Amino acid sequence: MTGKDFDIIVVGGGHAGVEAALAGVRMNRKVALVSMDAAKLALMSCNPAIGGIGKSQLVKEVDALGGIMGVAIDVTGIQFRRLNLSRGPAVWSTRAQADRRAYTRFISDFVANQRNLTVIEAIAGEVLTENGRTAGIKTEDGQILTAPAVILATGTFLGGLIHIGETKIPSGRMGEKAAYQLSDSLRKLGFEVGRLKTGTPPRLDGDTIDWDKCELQPGEVPIPFFSYRSLYREFEQTPCYLTHTTAATKALIIAHHKRSPIFSGQISSTGPRYCPSIEDKFFRFADKDTHHIFLEPEGNGTNEIYPNGFSTALPEDIQIKAVKTIVGLEDVKVTRPGYAIEYDYCPAYQLKPSLESKRLPGLFFAGQINGTSGYEEAAAQGIMAGINAVLYLEKEPSFILDRSEAYIGVMVDDLVTRSTTEPYRMFTSRAEYRLTLREDNARDRLFEYAQKYKLIETQHYNSFKELQKNTLEEIKHLGKITLSVNTLEGFKERFSRSRTVNLKNLLKMPGIDIETLLPLIEKHNGSFSANPEVLQRAAIFIRYQGYIDKQAREIEKFKKLESEKIPDDFPFASLKGVRIEAREKLRRYRPVSLGQASRLEGVTPGDIAVLSVMLKKHKGDRK
Amino acid sequence: MLHPGKKISSDDDTIVAVITPPGEGGIAALRLAGKKSLALLLRFFQPAHAKKIKFSPFLLRYGFFQSTEGGIIDEITAVYMPEGESYTGLEQAEIFCHGGCRVVRVILDELVRAGARPAEPGEFTRLAFLNGRIDLTRAEAVADMVAASTEVSLKVSREHLLGTFARHIENLRNDLIKIIADLEASIDFPDEEIVAPERSELLGAIDDILAKLNELAITYTGGKIIKEGYQVAIGGRPNAGKSSLFNRLLRQERALVTATAGTTRDYLSEWLDLGGIAVNLIDTAGIRVGGSTVEKSGREKALKIFKDADLILWLVDLSSRGWKSRLEDDLKYLDGKLIMLIGNKIDLVKEFKKDLRAYPGIIPVSCLDGSGLKKLKSNLIKNINKKMPDLTSGVVVTSARHKQKLEQAIEHVKSARMKLVEDESPEFTAFDLNQATRAIDEITGKVYNEQILDEIFARFCIGK
Ligand SMILES: Nc1nc2c(ncn2[C@@H]2O[C@H](COP(=O)(O)OP(=O)(O)O)[C@@H](O)[C@H]2O)c(=O)[nH]1
Ligand SMILES: [Mg+2]
Repeated sequence: MTGKDFDIIVVGGGHAGVEAALAGVRMNRKVALVSMDAAKLALMSCNPAIGGIGKSQLVKEVDALGGIMGVAIDVTGIQFRRLNLSRGPAVWSTRAQADRRAYTRFISDFVANQRNLTVIEAIAGEVLTENGRTAGIKTEDGQILTAPAVILATGTFLGGLIHIGETKIPSGRMGEKAAYQLSDSLRKLGFEVGRLKTGTPPRLDGDTIDWDKCELQPGEVPIPFFSYRSLYREFEQTPCYLTHTTAATKALIIAHHKRSPIFSGQISSTGPRYCPSIEDKFFRFADKDTHHIFLEPEGNGTNEIYPNGFSTALPEDIQIKAVKTIVGLEDVKVTRPGYAIEYDYCPAYQLKPSLESKRLPGLFFAGQINGTSGYEEAAAQGIMAGINAVLYLEKEPSFILDRSEAYIGVMVDDLVTRSTTEPYRMFTSRAEYRLTLREDNARDRLFEYAQKYKLIETQHYNSFKELQKNTLEEIKHLGKITLSVNTLEGFKERFSRSRTVNLKNLLKMPGIDIETLLPLIEKHNGSFSANPEVLQRAAIFIRYQGYIDKQAREIEKFKKLESEKIPDDFPFASLKGVRIEAREKLRRYRPVSLGQASRLEGVTPGDIAVLSVMLKKHKGDRK
Repeated sequence: MLHPGKKISSDDDTIVAVITPPGEGGIAALRLAGKKSLALLLRFFQPAHAKKIKFSPFLLRYGFFQSTEGGIIDEITAVYMPEGESYTGLEQAEIFCHGGCRVVRVILDELVRAGARPAEPGEFTRLAFLNGRIDLTRAEAVADMVAASTEVSLKVSREHLLGTFARHIENLRNDLIKIIADLEASIDFPDEEIVAPERSELLGAIDDILAKLNELAITYTGGKIIKEGYQVAIGGRPNAGKSSLFNRLLRQERALVTATAGTTRDYLSEWLDLGGIAVNLIDTAGIRVGGSTVEKSGREKALKIFKDADLILWLVDLSSRGWKSRLEDDLKYLDGKLIMLIGNKIDLVKEFKKDLRAYPGIIPVSCLDGSGLKKLKSNLIKNINKKMPDLTSGVVVTSARHKQKLEQAIEHVKSARMKLVEDESPEFTAFDLNQATRAIDEITGKVYNEQILDEIFARFCIGK
């Protein structure tokens, strides 16, 4: 195509859009980022935090693929800690409170400094096509921007409608416009458009909170940063606080619940079950009298507090009364009301695993428009869509991570093979190969890809290779150091048969980690010098080795089905021998592999057996 | 392109098999499936009245099965089904003849010699499945139904087909999911106000599941009998009357009976229906289990048969001198097997009651005049029933594959239990329980991961 304005146009400057645009730029493409406000990129519309369980793994994967999220939170975070530390490292998850404004400023500045990346302040209104392929967009004010690849990352802005009590405000985020023409354009192109709901709590003035009544939740030291690229720095962390609702809260909310649009019928779309509004909670779990509320700072230099757990769409006056029934918030001032927001999304069965739409070549979707929730989920899709848009331009095979490689793979596969019933959020329990997909080994899993697609600096790649080599050596080394069982106070009982044990075997045992061992080693074997990062990696590797071997066998089986590709022209419609329900599902989703087909709801192993036979026949017939 | 009309056969063979249960029966049926089914039928079919006859689909024709040499082998009826309208979806023909073993075997041999390939076990059902006539979830049950030779196995297959078994498995799966949900909730939502269940509570629930899994796995002893029949081997010294008993029980002259010791060189086996259970009765070569014998190959075979048998009928010739000491000798070699002792030839021993006073376990019979055989049969049935599972629930494992999956699940649950006892981090326990769930899923073919999250959201108030 000649005379095009850009290689890639990204619509939406949220967490997905930013990662998509930056990935495009990293791969040397000319990118336009269309967003309403160039100074408000990657804004945290809801909770001022990044990471958490299942999500931190995504952040680390994005980081390993050269993304910006990990670095941005490391620079602008005001409190860091790891969740699940009492469990094994496979489920450790880092979470950080962000200085909301600093985070947005950091990213907006970073984007502004990219050559090849132009931020265009506008609202996209239409996707343009040419000969059945994507050709660009037209903005609501009539500008035409051309590009052979377009990534839609519109967040909650597509057809956004805010609800506070009986009040309805067309908006994509409180106080901001939404995009209304784009949904129609998508429908005209033949896309199914659905509707989802999410919500946010009111914000509070921290100066009016009685902190003494709340429980302090400090940050972790040493500070657990996200990115391998971040240099360690120490600073005074801002604490969070924990409080709870009272009997008065429950009574008040039950008395007024009918005025919430969620109960009045004003909103019919489904919201996430894992993040219910407070009115939902009191009804769905009627026997619970109080609920935890986490008070999270919105940043340094602001007194605004985010009461996590108190999402609501009740009328503003009731919200104010209800908040004041919470312990410590008796005299609190509400700075902004909470609300529920409905928005359009495109059910992701319409996408290939590359996040390109099946219907329109060159049109990619990322983030909330695919039915997900969360900044991390959005960022992860954004970076994948960005990379794949470039590969599309280069006519190269797509970059697809499978379920055994990354949380990103799990998420994308879930999105394109499952029907969305509520906004999708990552959980570790979604990952069947959880013990293999850990925060600590994101680079082990993804750095080869990052290097291949030139997403990272060679210097980082090389130093990581060094780290991997040292880890292997450390594992061997640990196998050679033996301790006398008698010196293992507290663990002696576990060794009835042997008198000595090597550190490698010791580290495999439940309840023993490198921290418990270090003092023992030093006491009895003199000084033990190893790079703590290498030692930690080695210890985790040893701990999970047995399970990872077990999983490896399963992964092998899994990959076999994944590698049985179904050609684009496979006639699902005339497939005989499968049940009608299964045939309809297969027609609708058009799975790209037998593996993907096997994960469709309503498709049984019997149907897969038939499909497999037909597939062989189909391939044979075509020869 | 795919040809929607074209049917799948394993290859281009026409396959044949007897589709009625083995053993006695009034009528036996043979099925041909594949392109040459009609041609093969026409080749051997001799119409009763006309010289030539046309086979119209689904119309039963009466006539004779004529061998290649020209002789009439049996009086038969036959039917033809065109492609797309038969059980397998392929062109098909069925022949109904008289149920005697010899007749059926000869017809089968003729068809095979003429180019039909003997069908693999379950091949008709597999074809039916591949051609979209039935779906896999039922295919296994149908395969069992087709193979079911007796009332009991038919009942169990029917229960499987109706889904009682699948429902039971589903319940077990749900029990597992509940525990997994507890563990997963504590992993995925550690900051929430979830009260983690006590370890003792989890252990209790796991033990419960283990017990249920074991209980189910154990039904395979009975399930195997239902599916594969009950193996009864007749043993004893040469000339004890083994072949005579074999024939008596089958009520037909089948095995070779001789007056010289050691003429039953190999073994013979036949099926019979005893109280609704298919029993495979095996007549072994006359052997001295302890001593040396010239019939070495027969002896080795017999020993293997005894090893595999579910029950041994051990015959003693009460008319022979010194049978008592020989019996004591022989029993040493049959240790650990389920044995019924039978004292034969009571027609020759006047004082047999006195002789047997010290051996109340020996059932006295005469294979010559048939006395005592009724009691022998009823005791045999009693012994078989002891091994049968409770069939009222219909929840019986009859497939070796299911049994294997259950055993895998049990191993995983046991491993999970150990993790719990060792106070290992919950992701390990969850790992094992998820493996167990997957093993169970391979029985019913159901996989849905969302169920765990559904369970979590239904049970716990989650959401900050
Ligand atoms: N009198 C009598 N003879 C029997 C009886 N059972 C078997 N026999 C005879 O014993 C001989 C050996 O019988 P057979 O069944 O071949 O014994 P096997 O070697 O154990 O198979 C034959 O001559 C039978 O007719 C019985 O109950 N009474
Ligand atoms: Mg004999």
